[in-house]
Amino acid sequence: MTNKYLTLAMLVAALHATGQKGRPDTANHRADSPYKKQMVSRTQIQVLFAFYTQDGDHSAITGGIGTEWLHVYSPEFTITHQPDSNRSLSLNGGIDIITSASMNMISLMRSSASRVSDRFYLSPGYSYRLPKTRTRLGVNTGFSLESAYLSFPAGLSVTHTGPSGSREISASLQCYFDDLRFGRISDTYPLALVYPIELRDTSWFSIYRRYSYNLDLSFYQVINSKMQFALFPEAVLQKGLLSTPYHRVYFDDGHTERVENLPTERWKFPLGAQLNYFAGRRVIIRSYYRYYHDNWGIIAHTFQMEVPVKFTPTFTLSPYVRFHTQTAAWYFHPYKQSNTRDKFYTSNYELSALNTYKAGLSARYAPQNALSHHYFFDALTLRYSYYKRSDGLYAHILSLLLELEHVHPKSN
Amino acid sequence: MRIPNLVRIAAGILILALTGATTGCTTVRPYQKARLNDFNMRLGKTDIEKFDEGVHTYREGASGGGNGKASGGCGCN
Repeated sequence: MTNKYLTLAMLVAALHATGQKGRPDTANHRADSPYKKQMVSRTQIQVLFAFYTQDGDHSAITGGIGTEWLHVYSPEFTITHQPDSNRSLSLNGGIDIITSASMNMISLMRSSASRVSDRFYLSPGYSYRLPKTRTRLGVNTGFSLESAYLSFPAGLSVTHTGPSGSREISASLQCYFDDLRFGRISDTYPLALVYPIELRDTSWFSIYRRYSYNLDLSFYQVINSKMQFALFPEAVLQKGLLSTPYHRVYFDDGHTERVENLPTERWKFPLGAQLNYFAGRRVIIRSYYRYYHDNWGIIAHTFQMEVPVKFTPTFTLSPYVRFHTQTAAWYFHPYKQSNTRDKFYTSNYELSALNTYKAGLSARYAPQNALSHHYFFDALTLRYSYYKRSDGLYAHILSLLLELEHVHPKSN
Repeated sequence: MRIPNLVRIAAGILILALTGATTGCTTVRPYQKARLNDFNMRLGKTDIEKFDEGVHTYREGASGGGNGKASGGCGCN
């Protein structure tokens, strides 16, 4: 028993001595340590190139029949600058170059096999973490411009992270103020709503503005060291001209033709849930489900699963599948099946009862190599997707994302 | 008929989530977060999915829910 106490006392004394020896005073620690506390500013640069091609046979421009052939080239950049840990500035912009066969059918007089139109957009944002809190506030605005559309977005957001970092709640209000008049880029047309050429003897709509208000909430929760969960409830109100003025509708009497007419108000209630699980040492399961309901009669379910496999610490392959099913809006009828007594009508197949299937593969190479003293090559990602809609439309999507970073020490 | 369905499903998911968040969660120390901090464990959509989400918005009648913007900014939705 005495030996036991003696051994214990020696052990405590030895640990105490070791602790004293290994604990330098603060000043010495700063001087001796190979590590130096340094403020840095970070600038992340992302460049995304996307190519999209589709074909189908249910164009809304020609009343639910006709080609939906379309090509889109879409280069985009995002620059995020963090001068310190509290402030963050971002700038997102890009251009969509759209070549479409059906847009040419607005005039029903083909001057070429297809028509090219462009969309330009730019969106700056700023966020600020309140001092000595875990709350971040953000604002964003911008514009999006294309031939038949001008949009001004404006948004506010607030994010709060829990003390342990295991829980995060955020809320965001995004508003879009849109103008659907045609002729901003091309000076061939006066600034006005454009109707199909054979229907231009009637002024179908007295309004040309659309307002959208999105209240977007998100709730992130860490469940354990391998699993986390998120919930995305959202409420959307759209008001104004929700019809597309160059969409045709043909009626069941065989001779009546009108411009699509939809209600001037729409409520949408999507609710998304995501569960990510790190299974084993190399495999991650990313699962997502969304329930959607709106006041036009659409109920939808969407499910996506992606399984990234980490072949090396820097190289990941991610196969994925997505399935979507929805009921039709009350106002949808195929070509020549709308009734002239109906108040609202459309032959836009996006609002029809449909299923969509999508499958693809992402390859991500993330070496995080230094290119020079302050520049880093973070990652390169390539993603291919094949998309199929049950009405026959199919599409191929190819995206390439390049991520770079500039880290610069700041003088204290 | 449809609204009660919406309420039932939304309530079911919410209750499951909240039950999980409040009862099934364990405290994870910073040194145990190596897997949670992996790029592929990030919640929400990834940056490479951005264009794909736009396609879903244009080609389907449903949108939003943490999966791309729900409205505004283009002539399609």
